[in-house]
Amino acid sequence: MKNSMSIKTGLAALIAVLTVSCTSGYKKVSGKRANYTTMSSEELAEHLIFKDRGFKLNQKVQEGGTMRDRMKQDEIQKICSALKKRQVDSSTAQKVSTIAKNNMLYPKGSIRLGDWKKGRALVQNAFGFRVGHKTDKHSKRKPGGMCVNCHLLDSKMTIPSGNLGPSLRGYGKTRGQSEGVMKYTYEVIYNPHSVFPCTNMPRLGANGFINQEQIRDVMAYLLDPKSPINQ
Amino acid sequence: MKRNSSKLYTLQQALYTLPIALALAVTSRPLLAECSICTNEPPKQILEMLIKQTDSDYLTQSPQNLIMMSENAAYFSAEEGEELFHEKRGPKKASLKSCDFGKGPGVLKGAYAEMPRYFADTDRVMDLESRLVHCMKTIQGFTNSDKAIKKRHGSGSDMMKLQTYIASQSNGYEWNPPLDHTLEKAMRDAGEVLFYRRAGMLDFSCNTCHGETGKRVRASVLPNMNRPEEWTKAISWPAVRVGQHNNRSSLHRVRGCYWQMRQGRIAKGSDALIALISFWTDAARDQPAILPDLKR
Repeated sequence: MKNSMSIKTGLAALIAVLTVSCTSGYKKVSGKRANYTTMSSEELAEHLIFKDRGFKLNQKVQEGGTMRDRMKQDEIQKICSALKKRQVDSSTAQKVSTIAKNNMLYPKGSIRLGDWKKGRALVQNAFGFRVGHKTDKHSKRKPGGMCVNCHLLDSKMTIPSGNLGPSLRGYGKTRGQSEGVMKYTYEVIYNPHSVFPCTNMPRLGANGFINQEQIRDVMAYLLDPKSPINQ
Repeated sequence: MKRNSSKLYTLQQALYTLPIALALAVTSRPLLAECSICTNEPPKQILEMLIKQTDSDYLTQSPQNLIMMSENAAYFSAEEGEELFHEKRGPKKASLKSCDFGKGPGVLKGAYAEMPRYFADTDRVMDLESRLVHCMKTIQGFTNSDKAIKKRHGSGSDMMKLQTYIASQSNGYEWNPPLDHTLEKAMRDAGEVLFYRRAGMLDFSCNTCHGETGKRVRASVLPNMNRPEEWTKAISWPAVRVGQHNNRSSLHRVRGCYWQMRQGRIAKGSDALIALISFWTDAARDQPAILPDLKR
Protein backbone atom coordinates (compact mmCIF):
# COMPACT_ATOMS: atom_id res chain seq x y z
CA MET A 1 0.00 0.00 0.00
CA LYS A 2 2.70 2.41 1.02
CA ASN A 3 4.77 1.42 -1.99
CA SER A 4 1.99 1.91 -4.48
CA MET A 5 1.25 5.33 -2.96
CA SER A 6 4.81 6.46 -3.37
CA ILE A 7 4.85 5.17 -6.94
CA LYS A 8 1.68 7.14 -7.61
CA THR A 9 3.14 10.25 -6.00
CA GLY A 10 6.33 9.80 -7.96
CA LEU A 11 4.41 9.39 -11.21
CA ALA A 12 2.34 12.47 -10.48
CA ALA A 13 5.49 14.44 -9.76
CA LEU A 14 7.08 13.18 -12.96
CA ILE A 15 4.01 14.10 -15.00
CA ALA A 16 3.98 17.52 -13.35
CA VAL A 17 7.64 18.06 -14.22
CA LEU A 18 7.09 16.93 -17.80
CA THR A 19 4.03 19.15 -18.19
CA VAL A 20 5.84 22.19 -16.86
CA SER A 21 8.87 21.63 -19.03
CA CYS A 22 6.71 21.15 -22.11
CA THR A 23 4.39 24.10 -21.67
CA SER A 24 6.61 26.81 -20.27
CA GLY A 25 8.13 27.66 -23.63
CA TYR A 26 11.60 26.62 -22.54
CA LYS A 27 13.65 25.25 -25.34
CA LYS A 28 15.29 22.04 -24.27
CA VAL A 29 18.16 20.50 -26.14
CA SER A 30 19.29 17.15 -24.80
CA GLY A 31 17.96 18.02 -21.37
CA LYS A 32 19.46 21.48 -21.22
CA ARG A 33 17.89 24.72 -22.32
CA ALA A 34 19.68 26.19 -25.31
CA ASN A 35 21.04 29.59 -24.51
CA TYR A 36 20.32 31.75 -27.52
CA THR A 37 22.39 34.63 -26.24
CA THR A 38 25.69 32.75 -26.12
CA MET A 39 25.43 31.67 -29.76
CA SER A 40 26.50 33.69 -32.77
CA SER A 41 23.56 34.71 -34.96
CA GLU A 42 24.70 32.13 -37.55
CA GLU A 43 24.79 29.39 -34.92
CA LEU A 44 21.37 30.41 -33.63
CA ALA A 45 19.89 30.38 -37.14
CA GLU A 46 21.20 26.83 -37.72
CA HIS A 47 19.93 25.82 -34.28
CA LEU A 48 16.46 27.18 -35.03
CA ILE A 49 16.26 25.27 -38.31
CA PHE A 50 17.74 21.92 -37.33
CA LYS A 51 17.56 21.50 -33.54
CA ASP A 52 14.54 23.60 -32.61
CA ARG A 53 12.41 22.08 -35.39
CA GLY A 54 11.65 25.39 -37.03
CA PHE A 55 10.93 23.56 -40.27
CA LYS A 56 9.33 20.23 -41.06
CA LEU A 57 12.55 18.44 -41.89
CA ASN A 58 11.26 14.90 -42.21
CA GLN A 59 9.02 15.49 -45.20
CA LYS A 60 10.09 13.44 -48.22
CA VAL A 61 11.34 15.38 -51.24
CA GLN A 62 10.88 14.53 -54.91
CA GLU A 63 14.58 13.98 -55.65
CA GLY A 64 14.82 11.42 -52.82
CA GLY A 65 15.73 11.87 -49.18
CA THR A 66 14.08 14.40 -46.90
CA MET A 67 13.74 18.15 -46.53
CA ARG A 68 16.59 18.06 -44.03
CA ASP A 69 18.97 17.43 -46.96
CA ARG A 70 17.62 20.43 -48.89
CA MET A 71 17.86 22.78 -45.93
CA LYS A 72 21.55 21.97 -45.43
CA GLN A 73 23.72 24.44 -47.29
CA ASP A 74 26.47 23.47 -49.70
CA GLU A 75 29.66 25.50 -50.00
CA ILE A 76 28.43 27.93 -52.67
CA GLN A 77 25.23 28.61 -50.74
CA LYS A 78 27.19 29.24 -47.55
CA ILE A 79 29.71 31.61 -49.11
CA CYS A 80 27.11 33.59 -51.05
CA SER A 81 24.70 33.83 -48.07
CA ALA A 82 27.45 35.33 -45.92
CA LEU A 83 27.66 38.32 -48.29
CA LYS A 84 24.15 39.37 -47.21
CA LYS A 85 23.50 42.50 -49.30
CA ARG A 86 27.11 43.18 -50.26
CA GLN A 87 28.34 42.91 -53.82
CA VAL A 88 30.61 39.94 -54.35
CA ASP A 89 34.30 40.89 -53.98
CA SER A 90 36.96 39.56 -56.33
CA SER A 91 38.47 36.92 -54.05
CA THR A 92 35.04 35.50 -53.13
CA ALA A 93 34.07 35.59 -56.80
CA GLN A 94 37.22 33.68 -57.70
CA LYS A 95 36.56 31.08 -55.02
CA VAL A 96 32.91 30.52 -56.00
CA SER A 97 33.51 30.33 -59.74
CA THR A 98 36.35 27.84 -59.16
CA ILE A 99 34.05 25.57 -57.12
CA ALA A 100 31.40 25.86 -59.83
CA LYS A 101 33.83 25.12 -62.67
CA ASN A 102 35.33 22.15 -60.83
CA ASN A 103 31.88 20.60 -60.50
CA MET A 104 30.71 21.34 -64.02
CA LEU A 105 29.42 18.31 -65.89
CA TYR A 106 29.29 18.50 -69.67
CA PRO A 107 27.18 16.27 -71.91
CA LYS A 108 28.90 13.31 -73.57
CA GLY A 109 30.21 14.37 -76.95
CA SER A 110 29.46 17.88 -78.18
CA ILE A 111 26.85 20.28 -76.87
CA ARG A 112 23.83 20.03 -79.18
CA LEU A 113 20.55 21.86 -79.48
CA GLY A 114 17.29 20.02 -78.83
CA ASP A 115 13.73 20.94 -79.77
CA TRP A 116 12.84 24.62 -79.30
CA LYS A 117 9.13 23.81 -79.04
CA LYS A 118 9.74 21.55 -76.08
CA GLY A 119 12.08 24.17 -74.72
CA ARG A 120 9.40 26.82 -75.02
CA ALA A 121 7.02 24.69 -72.95
CA LEU A 122 9.75 24.18 -70.37
CA VAL A 123 10.62 27.85 -69.90
CA GLN A 124 6.96 28.61 -69.13
CA ASN A 125 6.52 25.74 -66.71
CA ALA A 126 7.13 26.72 -63.09
CA PHE A 127 5.82 23.48 -61.62
CA GLY A 128 7.88 21.10 -59.59
CA PHE A 129 9.79 20.30 -56.41
CA ARG A 130 7.53 22.21 -54.02
CA VAL A 131 7.01 20.42 -50.72
CA GLY A 132 5.04 21.46 -47.67
CA HIS A 133 1.35 22.19 -47.10
CA LYS A 134 0.94 21.05 -50.72
CA THR A 135 3.39 18.85 -52.57
CA ASP A 136 4.05 18.80 -56.32
CA LYS A 137 3.37 15.33 -57.67
CA HIS A 138 5.82 14.73 -60.50
CA SER A 139 3.86 11.65 -61.56
CA LYS A 140 1.00 13.94 -62.54
CA ARG A 141 3.00 16.70 -64.15
CA LYS A 142 6.66 17.05 -65.11
CA PRO A 143 8.64 19.88 -63.52
CA GLY A 144 9.79 22.76 -65.72
CA GLY A 145 12.58 25.31 -65.95
CA MET A 146 10.52 28.27 -64.62
CA CYS A 147 12.57 30.79 -66.68
CA VAL A 148 9.58 33.09 -67.36
CA ASN A 149 9.25 33.85 -63.66
CA CYS A 150 12.38 36.02 -63.92
CA HIS A 151 13.24 36.63 -67.62
CA LEU A 152 11.56 38.46 -70.47
CA LEU A 153 11.18 35.85 -73.23
CA ASP A 154 9.46 35.84 -76.64
CA SER A 155 6.84 38.45 -77.47
CA LYS A 156 4.15 35.87 -78.26
CA MET A 157 4.13 34.54 -74.74
CA THR A 158 0.87 35.17 -72.91
CA ILE A 159 2.26 34.58 -69.41
CA PRO A 160 3.59 37.84 -67.96
CA SER A 161 7.33 37.64 -67.40
CA GLY A 162 9.34 38.66 -64.35
CA ASN A 163 12.39 40.91 -64.31
CA LEU A 164 14.61 39.48 -61.57
CA GLY A 165 16.90 38.33 -64.35
CA PRO A 166 17.91 40.09 -67.59
CA SER A 167 15.77 40.07 -70.74
CA LEU A 168 16.52 37.11 -73.00
CA ARG A 169 14.55 38.38 -75.99
CA GLY A 170 16.62 37.96 -79.14
CA TYR A 171 19.20 35.92 -77.21
CA GLY A 172 20.34 33.82 -80.19
CA LYS A 173 19.89 36.55 -82.76
CA THR A 174 22.62 38.68 -81.23
CA ARG A 175 24.94 35.84 -80.26
CA GLY A 176 24.76 33.27 -83.07
CA GLN A 177 25.52 29.60 -82.54
CA SER A 178 29.30 29.36 -82.33
CA GLU A 179 30.93 26.70 -80.17
CA GLY A 180 31.81 29.38 -77.62
CA VAL A 181 28.21 30.62 -77.38
CA MET A 182 26.93 27.06 -77.04
CA LYS A 183 29.39 26.27 -74.23
CA TYR A 184 28.71 29.56 -72.44
CA THR A 185 24.92 29.08 -72.63
CA TYR A 186 25.21 25.53 -71.35
CA GLU A 187 27.38 26.63 -68.43
CA VAL A 188 25.01 29.43 -67.43
CA ILE A 189 22.04 27.05 -67.38
CA TYR A 190 23.93 24.19 -65.69
CA ASN A 191 25.72 26.30 -63.08
CA PRO A 192 25.65 30.08 -63.54
CA HIS A 193 28.07 30.63 -60.64
CA SER A 194 30.84 29.52 -63.00
CA VAL A 195 30.31 32.75 -64.95
CA PHE A 196 28.43 34.98 -62.48
CA PRO A 197 29.62 34.05 -58.97
CA CYS A 198 26.90 34.41 -56.32
CA THR A 199 24.27 35.20 -58.94
CA ASN A 200 20.59 34.95 -57.92
CA MET A 201 20.00 32.47 -60.74
CA PRO A 202 19.44 28.84 -59.70
CA ARG A 203 21.81 26.06 -60.72
CA LEU A 204 19.15 24.33 -62.76
CA GLY A 205 21.48 21.61 -64.07
CA ALA A 206 23.81 21.12 -61.13
CA ASN A 207 20.93 21.01 -58.65
CA GLY A 208 19.03 18.48 -60.75
CA PHE A 209 16.06 20.70 -61.49
CA ILE A 210 16.20 19.89 -65.20
CA ASN A 211 18.08 17.08 -66.97
CA GLN A 212 20.48 17.08 -69.92
CA GLU A 213 17.76 16.57 -72.52
CA GLN A 214 15.76 19.46 -71.08
CA ILE A 215 18.83 21.70 -71.09
CA ARG A 216 19.25 20.95 -74.82
CA ASP A 217 15.61 21.91 -75.41
CA VAL A 218 15.91 25.16 -73.45
CA MET A 219 19.12 25.97 -75.35
CA ALA A 220 17.26 25.38 -78.64
CA TYR A 221 14.55 27.78 -77.51
CA LEU A 222 17.26 30.39 -76.82
CA LEU A 223 19.53 29.80 -79.84
CA ASP A 224 17.52 28.28 -82.70
CA PRO A 225 16.85 30.97 -85.34
CA LYS A 226 13.33 29.52 -85.78
CA SER A 227 12.50 29.99 -82.09
CA PRO A 228 10.04 32.86 -81.45
CA ILE A 229 12.54 34.41 -79.04
CA ASN A 230 14.75 35.19 -82.09
CA GLN A 231 11.99 36.33 -84.40
CA MET B 1 -2.26 68.37 -31.96
CA LYS B 2 -3.10 69.01 -28.35
CA ARG B 3 -4.41 72.48 -28.98
CA ASN B 4 -7.21 72.35 -26.42
CA SER B 5 -5.48 70.43 -23.68
CA SER B 6 -3.99 73.34 -21.73
CA LYS B 7 -6.15 75.48 -19.51
CA LEU B 8 -3.77 78.38 -20.11
CA TYR B 9 -5.15 78.74 -23.57
CA THR B 10 -8.13 81.00 -23.82
CA LEU B 11 -10.56 80.35 -26.57
CA GLN B 12 -9.19 83.34 -28.41
CA GLN B 13 -5.62 82.07 -28.30
CA ALA B 14 -6.79 78.71 -29.44
CA LEU B 15 -8.54 80.26 -32.40
CA TYR B 16 -5.38 82.19 -33.31
CA THR B 17 -3.18 79.10 -33.24
CA LEU B 18 -5.57 76.75 -34.98
CA PRO B 19 -4.94 77.91 -38.56
CA ILE B 20 -1.18 78.00 -37.94
CA ALA B 21 -1.22 74.50 -36.56
CA LEU B 22 -3.29 73.32 -39.49
CA ALA B 23 -0.95 75.01 -41.94
CA LEU B 24 2.02 73.34 -40.29
CA ALA B 25 0.28 69.99 -40.38
CA VAL B 26 -0.29 70.29 -44.11
CA THR B 27 3.05 71.71 -45.17
CA SER B 28 5.60 70.23 -42.84
CA ARG B 29 4.84 66.82 -41.47
CA PRO B 30 8.13 66.40 -39.53
CA LEU B 31 7.30 69.38 -37.30
CA LEU B 32 4.44 67.47 -35.76
CA ALA B 33 5.05 65.62 -32.57
CA GLU B 34 5.90 61.92 -32.45
CA CYS B 35 3.33 59.58 -33.83
CA SER B 36 2.27 61.99 -36.52
CA ILE B 37 0.45 59.19 -38.27
CA CYS B 38 -0.99 57.45 -35.22
CA THR B 39 -4.29 59.04 -36.02
CA ASN B 40 -7.58 57.48 -36.85
CA GLU B 41 -6.69 57.48 -40.52
CA PRO B 42 -7.92 54.29 -42.13
CA PRO B 43 -5.52 51.91 -43.91
CA LYS B 44 -6.43 53.29 -47.34
CA GLN B 45 -5.37 56.83 -46.38
CA ILE B 46 -2.13 55.58 -44.84
CA LEU B 47 -1.28 53.75 -48.04
CA GLU B 48 -2.14 56.82 -50.13
CA MET B 49 0.16 58.91 -47.95
CA LEU B 50 3.00 56.39 -48.41
CA ILE B 51 2.39 56.40 -52.16
CA LYS B 52 2.72 60.19 -52.19
CA GLN B 53 5.98 60.02 -50.23
CA THR B 54 7.47 57.16 -52.23
CA ASP B 55 7.82 56.38 -55.88
CA SER B 56 7.10 52.69 -55.50
CA ASP B 57 5.80 50.26 -58.12
CA TYR B 58 5.05 47.85 -55.30
CA LEU B 59 2.72 50.25 -53.48
CA THR B 60 0.93 51.33 -56.65
CA GLN B 61 0.71 47.99 -58.43
CA SER B 62 -3.02 47.55 -57.99
CA PRO B 63 -5.26 50.64 -58.25
CA GLN B 64 -8.30 48.34 -57.99
CA ASN B 65 -7.10 47.01 -54.66
CA LEU B 66 -6.53 50.54 -53.41
CA ILE B 67 -10.15 51.39 -54.19
CA MET B 68 -11.33 48.18 -52.52
CA MET B 69 -9.45 48.90 -49.29
CA SER B 70 -12.28 50.90 -47.76
CA GLU B 71 -14.52 47.87 -48.14
CA ASN B 72 -11.94 45.33 -47.06
CA ALA B 73 -13.55 42.06 -45.98
CA ALA B 74 -10.97 41.94 -43.18
CA TYR B 75 -13.04 44.57 -41.33
CA PHE B 76 -15.65 41.85 -40.80
CA SER B 77 -12.94 39.54 -39.46
CA ALA B 78 -11.88 42.27 -37.05
CA GLU B 79 -15.46 42.76 -35.84
CA GLU B 80 -15.92 39.05 -35.30
CA GLY B 81 -12.55 38.95 -33.60
CA GLU B 82 -13.59 41.69 -31.21
CA GLU B 83 -16.60 39.64 -30.15
CA LEU B 84 -14.47 36.53 -29.70
CA PHE B 85 -11.91 38.51 -27.71
CA HIS B 86 -14.49 39.62 -25.15
CA GLU B 87 -16.47 36.41 -25.05
CA LYS B 88 -15.98 34.06 -22.10
CA ARG B 89 -14.66 30.96 -23.84
CA GLY B 90 -12.78 27.72 -23.39
CA PRO B 91 -12.78 25.23 -20.51
CA LYS B 92 -11.98 28.10 -18.10
CA LYS B 93 -14.82 30.29 -19.42
CA ALA B 94 -12.67 33.39 -19.56
CA SER B 95 -12.31 36.26 -21.99
CA LEU B 96 -8.95 37.44 -23.34
CA LYS B 97 -9.22 40.78 -21.54
CA SER B 98 -6.41 39.86 -19.16
CA CYS B 99 -4.03 38.84 -21.96
CA ASP B 100 -0.87 40.93 -21.99
CA PHE B 101 0.44 41.66 -25.47
CA GLY B 102 3.36 43.60 -24.06
CA LYS B 103 1.76 46.85 -22.98
CA GLY B 104 -0.15 45.51 -20.02
CA PRO B 105 -3.16 43.20 -19.60
CA GLY B 106 -5.86 44.00 -22.11
CA VAL B 107 -3.98 46.90 -23.69
CA LEU B 108 -4.25 46.47 -27.43
CA LYS B 109 -3.67 49.99 -28.77
CA GLY B 110 -0.33 49.89 -30.57
CA ALA B 111 0.64 46.58 -28.98
CA TYR B 112 1.08 44.65 -32.23
CA ALA B 113 3.32 47.38 -33.70
CA GLU B 114 5.73 46.61 -30.86
CA MET B 115 5.86 42.87 -31.44
CA PRO B 116 7.68 40.50 -31.50
CA ARG B 117 8.94 41.24 -28.00
CA TYR B 118 10.32 39.48 -24.93
CA PHE B 119 7.81 38.24 -22.36
CA ALA B 120 9.15 37.52 -18.89
CA ASP B 121 6.34 35.09 -18.03
CA THR B 122 7.39 32.69 -20.77
CA ASP B 123 11.01 33.80 -21.01
CA ARG B 124 10.58 33.91 -24.77
CA VAL B 125 10.38 36.38 -27.60
CA MET B 126 6.87 36.02 -28.98
CA ASP B 127 5.02 37.30 -32.01
CA LEU B 128 1.31 38.08 -32.11
CA GLU B 129 0.22 34.57 -33.04
CA SER B 130 2.36 32.74 -30.46
CA ARG B 131 1.33 35.19 -27.74
CA LEU B 132 -2.34 34.82 -28.62
CA VAL B 133 -2.05 31.02 -28.50
CA HIS B 134 -0.26 31.29 -25.15
CA CYS B 135 -3.14 33.36 -23.71
CA MET B 136 -5.80 31.07 -25.14
CA LYS B 137 -4.06 28.16 -23.44
CA THR B 138 -3.25 29.71 -20.10
CA ILE B 139 -6.26 32.01 -19.63
CA GLN B 140 -9.00 30.14 -21.47
CA GLY B 141 -7.70 26.60 -21.06
CA PHE B 142 -7.66 25.64 -24.73
CA THR B 143 -5.26 22.90 -25.77
CA ASN B 144 -3.42 22.24 -29.04
CA SER B 145 -6.14 19.82 -30.14
CA ASP B 146 -8.89 22.46 -29.86
CA LYS B 147 -10.01 23.89 -33.18
CA ALA B 148 -9.77 27.43 -31.76
CA ILE B 149 -5.99 27.03 -31.64
CA LYS B 150 -5.37 24.28 -34.15
CA LYS B 151 -6.92 25.99 -37.16
CA ARG B 152 -4.52 28.77 -38.15
CA HIS B 153 -5.63 29.64 -41.66
CA GLY B 154 -8.70 30.97 -43.43
CA SER B 155 -11.05 33.90 -42.83
CA GLY B 156 -13.39 31.64 -40.87
CA SER B 157 -10.82 30.59 -38.28
CA ASP B 158 -10.88 32.01 -34.74
CA MET B 159 -7.14 32.65 -35.05
CA MET B 160 -7.53 34.91 -38.07
CA LYS B 161 -10.49 36.77 -36.59
CA LEU B 162 -8.69 37.40 -33.30
CA GLN B 163 -5.40 38.32 -34.95
CA THR B 164 -7.17 40.76 -37.28
CA TYR B 165 -8.94 42.45 -34.39
CA ILE B 166 -5.81 42.77 -32.26
CA ALA B 167 -3.60 43.85 -35.17
CA SER B 168 -6.14 46.44 -36.32
CA GLN B 169 -5.66 48.19 -32.99
CA SER B 170 -2.17 49.07 -34.27
CA ASN B 171 -3.33 50.61 -37.53
CA GLY B 172 -1.34 53.77 -38.19
CA TYR B 173 1.13 53.05 -35.40
CA GLU B 174 4.74 53.04 -36.40
CA TRP B 175 6.49 49.67 -36.23
CA ASN B 176 8.66 49.77 -33.17
CA PRO B 177 9.62 46.29 -31.98
CA PRO B 178 11.81 46.56 -28.86
CA LEU B 179 15.41 45.39 -29.08
CA ASP B 180 16.46 46.09 -25.50
CA HIS B 181 16.42 42.55 -24.20
CA THR B 182 19.33 40.33 -25.26
CA LEU B 183 16.88 37.70 -26.52
CA GLU B 184 15.08 40.25 -28.69
CA LYS B 185 18.41 41.23 -30.23
CA ALA B 186 19.50 37.60 -30.64
CA MET B 187 16.25 36.65 -32.38
CA ARG B 188 16.31 39.67 -34.69
CA ASP B 189 19.91 38.91 -35.68
CA ALA B 190 19.19 35.22 -36.26
CA GLY B 191 16.24 36.35 -38.37
CA GLU B 192 18.60 38.42 -40.47
CA VAL B 193 20.77 35.36 -41.09
CA LEU B 194 17.67 33.37 -42.06
CA PHE B 195 16.59 36.15 -44.43
CA TYR B 196 19.86 35.93 -46.37
CA ARG B 197 20.29 32.18 -46.03
CA ARG B 198 20.37 30.53 -49.43
CA ALA B 199 19.37 26.87 -49.53
CA GLY B 200 17.34 24.28 -51.39
CA MET B 201 17.14 23.32 -55.05
CA LEU B 202 16.85 26.91 -56.26
CA ASP B 203 19.54 28.44 -54.01
CA PHE B 204 17.07 31.17 -53.08
CA SER B 205 16.83 33.23 -49.93
CA CYS B 206 14.25 35.85 -48.96
CA ASN B 207 16.74 38.39 -50.27
CA THR B 208 16.58 36.93 -53.80
CA CYS B 209 13.16 38.53 -54.25
CA HIS B 210 13.13 41.23 -51.57
CA GLY B 211 16.53 42.91 -51.91
CA GLU B 212 15.82 45.40 -54.71
CA THR B 213 13.06 47.77 -55.72
CA GLY B 214 10.82 47.30 -58.76
CA LYS B 215 11.55 43.59 -59.22
CA ARG B 216 8.85 41.21 -60.37
CA VAL B 217 8.18 37.49 -60.32
CA ARG B 218 5.93 37.21 -63.34
CA ALA B 219 3.41 40.05 -62.84
CA SER B 220 3.86 40.41 -59.06
CA VAL B 221 5.82 43.48 -58.02
CA LEU B 222 7.94 42.51 -55.04
CA PRO B 223 8.51 44.67 -51.95
CA ASN B 224 12.08 45.68 -51.11
CA MET B 225 13.12 44.96 -47.54
CA ASN B 226 15.65 47.83 -47.70
CA ARG B 227 12.91 50.37 -48.32
CA PRO B 228 10.83 50.78 -45.15
CA GLU B 229 8.11 52.84 -46.88
CA GLU B 230 7.19 49.91 -49.09
CA TRP B 231 8.25 47.19 -46.67
CA THR B 232 5.66 48.32 -44.13
CA LYS B 233 2.90 47.26 -46.49
CA ALA B 234 4.65 43.96 -47.14
CA ILE B 235 4.64 43.05 -43.45
CA SER B 236 1.20 44.44 -42.64
CA TRP B 237 -0.64 41.22 -41.88
CA PRO B 238 -3.42 40.19 -41.46
CA ALA B 239 -4.45 41.17 -44.93
CA VAL B 240 -7.04 39.87 -47.33
CA ARG B 241 -5.35 38.23 -50.30
CA VAL B 242 -7.73 39.15 -53.10
CA GLY B 243 -6.50 36.30 -55.30
CA GLN B 244 -7.09 33.82 -52.50
CA HIS B 245 -10.43 35.20 -51.23
CA ASN B 246 -9.07 34.82 -47.73
CA ASN B 247 -7.71 36.75 -44.83
CA ARG B 248 -4.07 35.78 -44.27
CA SER B 249 -1.45 35.95 -41.51
CA SER B 250 2.32 36.48 -41.29
CA LEU B 251 2.68 32.72 -40.86
CA HIS B 252 0.82 32.16 -44.11
CA ARG B 253 3.10 34.60 -45.96
CA VAL B 254 6.31 33.00 -44.68
CA ARG B 255 5.00 29.51 -45.38
CA GLY B 256 4.14 30.50 -48.95
CA CYS B 257 7.56 32.06 -49.61
CA TYR B 258 9.47 29.00 -48.38
CA TRP B 259 7.19 26.76 -50.42
CA GLN B 260 7.91 28.72 -53.59
CA MET B 261 11.63 28.70 -52.74
CA ARG B 262 11.43 24.88 -52.59
CA GLN B 263 12.59 24.93 -49.00
CA GLY B 264 10.92 23.37 -45.96
CA ARG B 265 7.58 24.09 -44.36
CA ILE B 266 8.06 26.54 -41.50
CA ALA B 267 6.56 25.30 -38.23
CA LYS B 268 3.78 27.39 -36.70
CA GLY B 269 4.83 29.17 -33.53
CA SER B 270 8.47 28.20 -34.06
CA ASP B 271 11.35 30.40 -33.00
CA ALA B 272 12.61 30.28 -36.60
CA LEU B 273 9.38 32.00 -37.66
CA ILE B 274 9.49 34.49 -34.79
CA ALA B 275 13.15 35.31 -35.55
CA LEU B 276 12.29 36.04 -39.16
CA ILE B 277 9.31 38.17 -38.15
CA SER B 278 11.55 40.04 -35.66
CA PHE B 279 13.93 40.91 -38.47
CA TRP B 280 11.27 41.90 -40.98
CA THR B 281 9.44 44.09 -38.46
CA ASP B 282 12.68 45.83 -37.53
CA ALA B 283 13.19 46.54 -41.24
CA ALA B 284 9.90 48.47 -41.34
CA ARG B 285 10.72 50.47 -38.22
CA ASP B 286 9.20 53.98 -37.95
CA GLN B 287 6.79 53.40 -40.81
CA PRO B 288 3.05 53.24 -40.15
CA ALA B 289 1.34 49.85 -40.07
CA ILE B 290 -1.51 49.36 -42.56
CA LEU B 291 -4.00 47.19 -40.70
CA PRO B 292 -5.91 45.38 -41.86
CA ASP B 293 -4.39 45.42 -45.32
CA LEU B 294 -5.58 44.19 -48.68
CA LYS B 295 -3.11 42.54 -51.00
CA ARG B 296 -3.18 41.07 -54.50
